Amino acid sequence: MPIEYKKNRALFRDVVTVEEAEGLLEWLQTRPGAQADLAACSHLHTANLQVLMSAKARISKWPKDPGLRAWLEPALQTAELNSGK
Amino acid sequence: MSSVPMSPLLEQFLSEARDLLECSGAKLMHLEDAPNDQDVMNELFRCVHTLKGNSGLFSFPEMTRVLHAGEDLLGMVRSGHANYSRELADCLLEAMDFVGTLCREIEATHGVDASRARDSQQITEALHKWMPSLKTHPAPAGNGVAAAVSMGTPSIAANASSANGTHSVRSLLAGIPESTRKMALAHWRPGDALHWIAYRPLRECFFHGDDPLNTARQTPALVWGRVVAPEPLPPLADLDTYSCVVQFDLLTNAPREELDQFYRYIPEQVEIITIPSHWLLNSLENLGESRAALPAAPRRRSYSENDEAAFHKIIAAQRQILLLEDRPIWYAGRLKAVAAVLANLSSAAGHTCDEADIQAALADALSTGHPTLLLAWIDANPANRAGAALVSNDTSATAPAEMEKGAGSSLESGPGEVLADEGIKFGRRAEVAFSGPKSLKVDQAKVDRLMNLIGELVVSKNGLPYLAERAESQFGVRELSREIKGQYSIINRIADEMQDAIMQVRMMAVSFVFQRFPRLVRDISRKLGKEVQLVLEGEQTEADKNIIESLADPLIHIVRNSLDHGLETPEVRLAAGKPATGRLTIRAAQEADRVVIEVSDDGRGIDPAVIKQKAYEKGIIDEAALERIGDQEAINLIFAAGLSTAKVLSDLSGRGVGMDVVRSAVEKINGTVVLHSELGKGTTIRISLPLSMAVTQVMIVESDGQLFGVPMDHVVETVRVSGSNIRTFKKSQTAVLRGRIVPLKSLNALLGINAIPRMNSDDELAVLRVQTGGVEFGLVVDGFRETIGVIQKPLNGFLSGLAAFSGSALLGNGSVLMILNIREIV
Repeated sequence: MPIEYKKNRALFRDVVTVEEAEGLLEWLQTRPGAQADLAACSHLHTANLQVLMSAKARISKWPKDPGLRAWLEPALQTAELNSGK
Repeated sequence: MSSVPMSPLLEQFLSEARDLLECSGAKLMHLEDAPNDQDVMNELFRCVHTLKGNSGLFSFPEMTRVLHAGEDLLGMVRSGHANYSRELADCLLEAMDFVGTLCREIEATHGVDASRARDSQQITEALHKWMPSLKTHPAPAGNGVAAAVSMGTPSIAANASSANGTHSVRSLLAGIPESTRKMALAHWRPGDALHWIAYRPLRECFFHGDDPLNTARQTPALVWGRVVAPEPLPPLADLDTYSCVVQFDLLTNAPREELDQFYRYIPEQVEIITIPSHWLLNSLENLGESRAALPAAPRRRSYSENDEAAFHKIIAAQRQILLLEDRPIWYAGRLKAVAAVLANLSSAAGHTCDEADIQAALADALSTGHPTLLLAWIDANPANRAGAALVSNDTSATAPAEMEKGAGSSLESGPGEVLADEGIKFGRRAEVAFSGPKSLKVDQAKVDRLMNLIGELVVSKNGLPYLAERAESQFGVRELSREIKGQYSIINRIADEMQDAIMQVRMMAVSFVFQRFPRLVRDISRKLGKEVQLVLEGEQTEADKNIIESLADPLIHIVRNSLDHGLETPEVRLAAGKPATGRLTIRAAQEADRVVIEVSDDGRGIDPAVIKQKAYEKGIIDEAALERIGDQEAINLIFAAGLSTAKVLSDLSGRGVGMDVVRSAVEKINGTVVLHSELGKGTTIRISLPLSMAVTQVMIVESDGQLFGVPMDHVVETVRVSGSNIRTFKKSQTAVLRGRIVPLKSLNALLGINAIPRMNSDDELAVLRVQTGGVEFGLVVDGFRETIGVIQKPLNGFLSGLAAFSGSALLGNGSVLMILNIREIV
């Protein structure tokens, strides 16, 4: 499984495909304030990104892949700021 | 034909596309006269639909997109949702012409230039304009569905649409973090392109298999990028996972062509804006950054003396061009060209800030019609002035004139056209010299008729030598006889060449049959749980169309048999010390005037003992034969009807109808099939076929004063056997030929002619050793004649019941030669 769901934390691994988005959405809907650990993630499909952005999920660990991190950090941080408002 | 071979599928597509385009063009014209003709409309729709479907097999998104739009539009017209009009037809014709252009381009270069993507998009949009309500386009999101969520940050969207102004680009750049801009500048070299890409994925793009984030990340030479989320983001509860709401802004160094190539599948979703590089600097200045703080190194390159001289020469030439007094129609183009050269020069020299000045000077020159400011700019630059001085000594007066000639001719087709007509035209047939198709589609019957006629010509020309002989022997005119012979040799040569040419027309590569095997082998081996590696060789070998076509079924039988009976499962193979993956080789080659096709596997081979036993059990051979026949002959029993070696029946093979069907199919086209097998090592089946069925080589034999033809495929040798060497056992005669006992059969007896074979003066019998289906025997005849090529005609009517003859042929003297069917008369 590219996403492993812990109690209140989703662990993303390798390439997270579009098929995961539905599950991620459902999981996040029942757990407001859940965290996402992207450390081991090398790519995630846009659909997943949208879900994370929309859920304003807290990112506990950013991807180790600097390229992906450069993309995700601004997008998901904005979401965090918005949630702070 | 181009030098690189094209895949047959692509060739076929192009040939079909030409027909379909032709057809749709005609239908479109027809519809102009009768817009309500539903039948024509349907046909047109079918044409475009087929073309679109076919184009989808290849990677030509430019073509598919246009055809798709065309199909959509036609669909709407057909269902009455859009009105057919002359303008709409124009648009569709334009689209078809574009597809035609692409086809020609593909034929010439085997690919489509990346720049076509833009044209394709333009045409697609033009087609879309005719559709009353289109929901697929994100940009003009006027309807309810798209408006539910506002797309993109409004400021960006607004800028993107009016992107040509300096202002908008500056504000675009303002959105980029300062550190990124600095980094971009550090990487930037004079002359580099800088592109802003506004990537607006379609909402339904996930269903197309797109991952926009991945596409964005893979964009070539990416400098910077960001995810643009809509404001506000839909709340989690309303979010549709499968609808893409985010968008992307990207900044890249890649040249335009590379970007066009990268985004060729989705050009309608991206907007690419070229950013003049000095704006990058300016935007930094706006932020209070001093230019001196920037790394100076990349901006100023060192120039050699040669560079310097060339630089001055170019400037001087531009100056000369500007000083020309005439004002041709392409004058605006000339000014633009000069300005572009100057701008490039100055940016190459590192004076990036000059570009705006040059543009201003150009604008002035264009409006006033006089290049005062441009000249002033050249003269204002000290380095340039040196060049101007240089030119007065250096360049002769003829140089600019020559240059002007060159510039004029190149500009004529350049800016002039662009200025005159902003729309793109893709070669209306009426206007542009139409390069005709290189291949013709001809009804096979026509080719067959031609071949028959040539066959008759070949036969009737054979009458000339007889005529020559008669002229000499009967009428005693030797001179005439020689002349007839001379004429004959000429006609003979031409007829031969004609025959050869018409054969070439009918030739087809065996790949036509071979191409289905990879799939077949894969499917069957999967079903049987075997691992098979298929090797195809000699796919380019050619043979007559009929031969190739009739080869398909036997070959499939053989391949199935090899897979089912021949090759073992991986476990068995490993146990036998063979690699787990079996190897099936299908090889075609031309040998003299025959095509040889070999199917070999490295499977378990055929056990002759098993075959013999089976054949005996099924009553195919008797007990005596069981003892007598050798291994090779036993293996050939596999071709006998009703024999199957498979232990269980499967849906693949094993019903005992296989190899005998193969043999009869091959023999029907005058081919032979031979099987070699080594127990445990594998089996090879060798099919030998004539290149063409048109001409059969036959040997003429004489018996009881009549002539008969024996196909050369069956002839092993001609021998004279002395009467004393013939032994008679019971009623049958035999002779020992080359160490083998060969049964002798008299042709007279076989045909029911009541005469005994004649012996020659040395008391010898003429024996034609023939073989058919692995059986050999000697045919006793009266004498041998020459071998000739004949056009064999099948027997018709009452005669068709004569199994002893396979056909008839005309001889040069007009007499009929009956061709023996060796297999039947035994």
